[in-house]
Amino acid sequence: MKNFKRIFALGAAVMMTATLFAGCGPSNSNDGGNSGDDNQGDGDGATYKIAVVPKMTNIGWFQRMEEGVKAYNADNGTDYLYGGSTEGADQASYVEGLLAEDWDAICVVPFDSQSLAPVLQKAKEAGVVVITHEAASMDPQYFDYDIEAFVNADYGTNFAKQLVELTNGEGTYIQFVGDLNSVSHNEWCDAADAYFAENSNMVKLGRYETGDQTTSSYNQTKELLTAHPEINAIEGSASTDVAGAAQAVSELGLSGQVAIVGTSMTTICGNYIEDGTIASFSVWDPAEAGKAMIELAIAVLDARAAGGELDVASTSLAAVGYESLTAGEGTPTVLYGNARVDVTKDNMANYNF
Amino acid sequence: MTTQNQKLKMALTSTPMILIYVIAVFCIVVSIRQPAFLSPATAINIGRAGIFTMCFAICEMVVIISGGIDVSFPAVGCVAMYVPLYLNYHGMLPDNVFAFFGLAMFIGLIFGILNGILVSYLKLPPLIATLATSSIASGGLILALGTREFTTLPPSLEALYRVNLVTYTDAATGFTYPLTILFLVPVALCVVMALVMHFTMLGRGLYAIGGDANAARIAGFNVRLLQFFAYIFCGVAAGATAMIYTTLMHSSTTTALMGDEMIIIAACVVGGCRLTGGHGNVGGTILGVLLITLVQTNLNMLGIPTSWQTFAVGLVLLLGAILTSIQAKRQTKLGKI
Repeated sequence: MKNFKRIFALGAAVMMTATLFAGCGPSNSNDGGNSGDDNQGDGDGATYKIAVVPKMTNIGWFQRMEEGVKAYNADNGTDYLYGGSTEGADQASYVEGLLAEDWDAICVVPFDSQSLAPVLQKAKEAGVVVITHEAASMDPQYFDYDIEAFVNADYGTNFAKQLVELTNGEGTYIQFVGDLNSVSHNEWCDAADAYFAENSNMVKLGRYETGDQTTSSYNQTKELLTAHPEINAIEGSASTDVAGAAQAVSELGLSGQVAIVGTSMTTICGNYIEDGTIASFSVWDPAEAGKAMIELAIAVLDARAAGGELDVASTSLAAVGYESLTAGEGTPTVLYGNARVDVTKDNMANYNF
Repeated sequence: MTTQNQKLKMALTSTPMILIYVIAVFCIVVSIRQPAFLSPATAINIGRAGIFTMCFAICEMVVIISGGIDVSFPAVGCVAMYVPLYLNYHGMLPDNVFAFFGLAMFIGLIFGILNGILVSYLKLPPLIATLATSSIASGGLILALGTREFTTLPPSLEALYRVNLVTYTDAATGFTYPLTILFLVPVALCVVMALVMHFTMLGRGLYAIGGDANAARIAGFNVRLLQFFAYIFCGVAAGATAMIYTTLMHSSTTTALMGDEMIIIAACVVGGCRLTGGHGNVGGTILGVLLITLVQTNLNMLGIPTSWQTFAVGLVLLLGAILTSIQAKRQTKLGKI
């Protein structure tokens, strides 16, 4: 027993040490940023020191963004930093750690805007240009510019358009959202509703919440189709919604009879695209979003170096889908691209994330 | 005569009977609102939807009866579903159903042993111990193997997914409702555990240590070993259940099951398990799971707006818990007489 306790204590000590080392992660990455600093001066004149901080680094989505930033660096001979908190929870302290250095711009995809806000405030006060992504609902005082892949309403309208085409505008549709309080999911669905009402005879049965769980959209699709066999169109919002719905539809023997579209990713529903249960899903490419943030940061820094401000109308970013930007109506510092990608059997190989 | 009447009254107002009334009323209400409910399709849908809940609830029930609690099984399950598919994807595990389930159960075993050590040897409070195991499991998994979604099953698991017990075809709509062969897993688990809990020294010992660990020890039960068994059983069975989840949902992620622990514990409590240990049985747990699955998968049929559904689930849980708690009080009172 005594021995056992000792072993346990040793194990605990090893784990704590490991945690300590893990804590060193961000500062190590900062060193990577320093090497970028060394490169300053050579290259094509104005090389800025820019960091891109994702929500978290451990998921496929942001690994794709990392690929984009790396590709950008390779293409342009730059050495911009890509790094962040593994699971997102300590993103704010990661960014705060970065501020010890002299950055020209920091691009962040906020994990928790509340805890990040004071840090971004500090960065702005220190003269660092702050660019955010997927943060349109954040208070605009905390960023210089926020860049979004698309206007939510346009994105949602596209789903309705696709469904109307697939069903010839007749029938009953249902919608899934990850959370009934999710602003973006509901904006997509509201826009789709408006399009259905104007351009088809389709009737909405309801909007249902899935909690981002495949099992939930699967069970609800079976339940709803059992009670309402007339359903012939399903719109998903969370990335797992269409996968669960497609499995239910396929088990019920309805592949091809019930149209399914929605937001998703190849890694989640690629097999249903291949077998045709899902006609097409939509997504925006995080690799391009990463490039767009960097490009926007450079554009803002260039404009400020010339003594002016960014002219949104004439700005074109070298990232697919962000060639032209529109400023938000309420908040002109929120910029929208047109970076929606409709993924089908034909182009799926290009969007393998 | 009076004793016979009393016996009948007791039987009609026992915890399982009350749950059966609640379930019956719920079914009647749904079928009035939605006649489509009264179809073999509903039975298949509920049977299919309840597979994971049932297996996990049996795991949890054994631990609760032994006087503990295990909140680590969702995280352990995630490790058990993720690692085998990850290894297979990287060519390090053969594409074989037994390899997948074997490794999943082995992973469950490891974490079960960890829980067992923490609770029975180090005497940590089970809630804290299993919470720690949960964090270590999910955090360690992400650190070691990263996160990915495996949504394409290896051929052997895909073949298993395609084996069905029965397929019901609705005459009116032509929809097919397949019931997977894996439905037999929770059925077998329930039968085996009902026998074990009732008729073996092991089962009686679990009740004994859950009721009063000291008294059980004096009576000659090996408390430590029995606690160990409870957590190991929970881990192994949760590992297997997680692999069933992956097979049936075509999904293996590092977070798929996270957050399921509370609803499972609720199913046990509604089914008559007491969190203080020593009470509960397989029959009650089955009814608890049935009630929760019914409610979770039929609120749309009932026409309850989505915004009210979480509230409605809470209400049914509360009702179930109150009924079983009143029942427990009544029993103690009767015992005193």
